[in-house]
Amino acid sequence: MKNNFASGSFRDPAGFIFFSKGIAYRQVNNSYKEDWDLFIKSGLYKDLIKNRLIIKHKELKLKTKDPLCYKILQPDQIPFVSYPYEWSFSQIKDAALTTLEILKMALLHGMVLKDASAYNIQFIGGKLILIDTLSFTKYIEGEPWIAYRQFCQHFLAPLALISFKDYRLNLLTKSYIDGIPLDLVSSLLPMNSRFNFSLFTHIFMHAKSQKLFAKRAVLRRKVSRFGIESIISSLESLVRNLKWENEISEWGDYYSQTNYSQHSFNNKKEIVSRMLAKTKQNIIWDIGANTGVFSEIASQNAKQVISFDNDPATIEKNYLRVKRKEFKNILPLVIDLTSPSPSLGWQNEERMSLLERGPADIALALALIHHLAISNNLPFRKIASFFAKISNNLIIEFVPKSDSQAQRLLATREDIFNQYDEENFEKSFLEFFTILERHPIKSSKRVIYKMAKN
Amino acid sequence: MIILLLFLVILFFPKNAYAYLDPGTGSYIFQFVIAIILGLIFSLKLFWKKIVRTFLRLLKGKQRADEK
Repeated sequence: MKNNFASGSFRDPAGFIFFSKGIAYRQVNNSYKEDWDLFIKSGLYKDLIKNRLIIKHKELKLKTKDPLCYKILQPDQIPFVSYPYEWSFSQIKDAALTTLEILKMALLHGMVLKDASAYNIQFIGGKLILIDTLSFTKYIEGEPWIAYRQFCQHFLAPLALISFKDYRLNLLTKSYIDGIPLDLVSSLLPMNSRFNFSLFTHIFMHAKSQKLFAKRAVLRRKVSRFGIESIISSLESLVRNLKWENEISEWGDYYSQTNYSQHSFNNKKEIVSRMLAKTKQNIIWDIGANTGVFSEIASQNAKQVISFDNDPATIEKNYLRVKRKEFKNILPLVIDLTSPSPSLGWQNEERMSLLERGPADIALALALIHHLAISNNLPFRKIASFFAKISNNLIIEFVPKSDSQAQRLLATREDIFNQYDEENFEKSFLEFFTILERHPIKSSKRVIYKMAKN
Repeated sequence: MIILLLFLVILFFPKNAYAYLDPGTGSYIFQFVIAIILGLIFSLKLFWKKIVRTFLRLLKGKQRADEK
């Protein structure tokens, strides 16, 4: 078997992920044998699977030539990998609670989570799933929880910063790949957050104690099992009680503000569903998805829909709606298209850039072109070349300059966009795509195109 | 509060050499301290829940008896 090692899978000596012919496999090393056998024999894996909390795997009989190899697993494939800096508040919160639920279940089976990395949780089929099967180790009575610091940095830190300060501070997770340092979080949080006892303990005191013990040798004491359970219970109620009361975002009420009449909005929905209905797609990216009305339509014709928007408040709404309605194949994510997630980590290879995670079978770009061209001064040609990189097919709405939404963007700036018209739009896109369909939206000046990449 | 916790730390952990200290040591040791405090709070919480449950059971029992 010719293998490519996954570039983000090297920290844990227990094993690693590798790819062969595009399929992901996991090697379990001999050094992890004891923990692995306990993980299976204690019934923990079975219980986690029953509760849909961990990724399923098949144990393969085949072995590699590697003398370290104990077992080879073939885990279920993940349709789309997302990262914590792309999640909304409730997505981070749900990932934190899932991690604690898994930890509690592990303790019941005499094991404990040795990692509490947010990157180990993924949204698959409408559920939050632990994807690192080698995250467990035997629980030793008296030992503290080894992943406590990681949990606080990966989950509590961004949740507290969003809840008490500003969502944008979640972007710090892009810079700090092992979670936001707690001394930094302490200095950014406002005074009133110190009155929350649990937050005061797990963030402020925790940061102080890290500093205090950094250069001090101390005698090790024991933490009872009840002590660990108390810490978990405290973290759980803290996470549950953190709320994000966001103001109505700029585009959060977009659908009620557009110049569409109900009639033309329905017509737009009909056109898009007709364009999508012809074939079942693997993956559709709905770019500039807002609260996800069109992602919902797309979800009927795709295995997976990724619903992007740069506004965290609309993605929060979108996620809560997807969760409430139990849509299993829509994943809302906060992505700024003008600066999409880069590749990060060791050698820039641990976390994939957005473009590396494509291309999509179809990209939906509805009511988006005027934002890119007018708000971001992007020429049509650059926009077309970007879409050709991220998708094989494109459904795109052209919004003319006379449209009230485009006018709104032009209201406070000089109109330097002489080239912004439908003719130039078509000319630029024809360099990369073939136009398959063109449908004007009834009672509106907007037009929807379906295109295929050349 | 900080003073109380630091006092507890100093009380419970005399200076004593212990192997190599990695950057996560502070978080590790910190759990020895908070496990005691949070354990106490957790016990009270469980105790309170038990009282409420017993009280509700008694109340329900009384209601049933009254209905009869």
